[in-house]
Amino acid sequence: MCRNRFSLSPVALVLTVCGSLLFVSGCGKTPAASFRPNMVEAAKQRLKPEQEEQVATILEAMFGTPDNPIAMPETGLDIGKLRLAAGPVHSDIVGRKNGLFREHCSHCHGVTGDGMGPTAAFLNPYPRDYRPGWFKFKSTERADKPTHGDLVTILNNGIYGTSMPSFELLGEAKVDALVEYVKYLSMRGEAELNMMRYFFELDDEDEGKLPETRDFLVEEILLPVAERWQEAEDAVIEVPEMPEVDLAESIAMGKELFYGNKANCVKCHGVTALGDGQANDYDDWNKVVKQWSDEVQSSHEVSTKEMSREEKAEHREYLTRADKALAGDALEPRTIQPRNLRQAIYRGGRRPIDFYYRIHAGINGAPMPAAAGTLTPDEIWHVVNYIRSLPYEFDGELGADRSMVARDRL
Amino acid sequence: MRNRLAGIFWSILFLAVPVLGVGVFAIAPSIDVWLPKDVSSHGKEIDSLFYFILALTGIVFIVTEMLLFWFIWKYDAAARGDEKATYIHGSHTLEVIWTIIPAVTMLFLAIYQMNAWADMKMRRPVMKPTVEVVARQFEWRLRYPGPDGDLGTPDDLFLVNDLHVPVDEDILIQLKSMDVLHSFFLPNLRMKQDAVPGMKIPVWFKATETGQYDLVCAELCGWGHYKMKGRITIESREDYDAWLEAKYREQEATQPEPMDEIL
Repeated sequence: MCRNRFSLSPVALVLTVCGSLLFVSGCGKTPAASFRPNMVEAAKQRLKPEQEEQVATILEAMFGTPDNPIAMPETGLDIGKLRLAAGPVHSDIVGRKNGLFREHCSHCHGVTGDGMGPTAAFLNPYPRDYRPGWFKFKSTERADKPTHGDLVTILNNGIYGTSMPSFELLGEAKVDALVEYVKYLSMRGEAELNMMRYFFELDDEDEGKLPETRDFLVEEILLPVAERWQEAEDAVIEVPEMPEVDLAESIAMGKELFYGNKANCVKCHGVTALGDGQANDYDDWNKVVKQWSDEVQSSHEVSTKEMSREEKAEHREYLTRADKALAGDALEPRTIQPRNLRQAIYRGGRRPIDFYYRIHAGINGAPMPAAAGTLTPDEIWHVVNYIRSLPYEFDGELGADRSMVARDRL
Repeated sequence: MRNRLAGIFWSILFLAVPVLGVGVFAIAPSIDVWLPKDVSSHGKEIDSLFYFILALTGIVFIVTEMLLFWFIWKYDAAARGDEKATYIHGSHTLEVIWTIIPAVTMLFLAIYQMNAWADMKMRRPVMKPTVEVVARQFEWRLRYPGPDGDLGTPDDLFLVNDLHVPVDEDILIQLKSMDVLHSFFLPNLRMKQDAVPGMKIPVWFKATETGQYDLVCAELCGWGHYKMKGRITIESREDYDAWLEAKYREQEATQPEPMDEIL
């Protein structure tokens, strides 16, 4: 019966191999997630390894880990919400989805909230880095933190014109938890920056170490950040009612301001309002990287002839470390485009009040300045009305033909 | 005897395919993995086409699988001892038959479904778009024309992911993509249409029942494809108008909303 080559054993073998492959691939171990240190700042402040280590230890004691967040009472954060958003993606005992941040946000914003998740480098603009604590679209003054509601609005609406999508359909509870977690990551990032910068102010008797007392850490490091988040809730810009003038008249006045010296919107947004004015500026996130990398670049060109041997070694070590931080912890700096105002795509929302906030307070982190000191509230409203009319201005003074200005907004 | 066992194993294995295949279809509706509820005016036609083709292919599937089983069972070398196989050069008649039958069937299906296809993809209602849907990674941006009925005017209403349409009315959607290929899929309305960058594609339907249903992307469009999810709400004309009105008022807000409305 040797003609028959089939027997049970090869079948059994194949099934066994397939089965064990499935088993093995499903059970790969992934290391526990950890927060990344702010390498750029550490290198910039020339922190010693033991100082970096101290910062990491204190941060972990104050804020915990990505899997086990800690909310110190001074932060005012809700630990229940943080737990819902933190940790790996899993369903808890009542079937509620946990690990929301890692499911929905971390691939762009990174586990640390440093805006350097795996997809970050492909995106333009880059995802937000929460660590400096600057937020663009909000209802508070330029230097203030956003309110909780501001961040909820961003998550619900997404940021049209960027890669940030809408998360409204996740439901209120989940969006709320995610906003809490963003605040947590931002506070953590800012506390880290505060500590790294504090070494500079230490006395000789501190021996290069931060005092590890609760008083110091809370008063000097945590509260300056946390309090500003709490204050923001009551610091919403008051918006006077829109003046009661004819809309066409208001638009005409807004136009005059737009092109005039007082508001001077034309400088960046361009005479055509297509966002083709000054285009070689950087936003604050990119500016930090740009300026420092220029500095490092010029340090590379410094002559080491006059240096002692120790100085030379130190110089070389600093440059190696700086290059490493710039390559590994920063994205290639990119210039910021002033908004094209004729596309009807607005990142910070399209409600008149959203425009009012942005013109009044400017955009934190971006070159857009606050107009509050220069323009009266009525004048701001005129500019708002003019800007809102721009995508539909077919027969304006420019005489642009319809097909050019009203390009299909694909 | 060991080899005879192998023959039995293979025959049973091949028999298990049609048995399990038919079994899965038989229990699917009762465990809720069958077609989603149809709430469209044209859905019945699409579903009956689906059932018709399913029955046709189902019968062919069962017959061929049974034949396969029978041949493996009956002509197992181990069971037939030293009996020699007959060498034949094929059967011209058989080949002609099994070419012509499927060809005729295919041709029949192609002609039979033409009307349904034309209704869904060619005979569009003469009207202005109800809403423009712009697909982008990874969300659905919506633009309603506002009271004047024209898109691209200052009274347009901009929304995201939350599509509303009135019930029992012709709906015409202008579908675009901002970046890559997407597919606009409303399972409960039996409607699926690719969104292609650079093209304005009309999509139309008429909903027959109120309710909330899924809007999903049915074309792999990038890493976040699986969460490119929206929602369609089908509601009465009055509710729809009230909703539009409320959303428009929200968009025109000149004062902040009270906190409890944001959260």
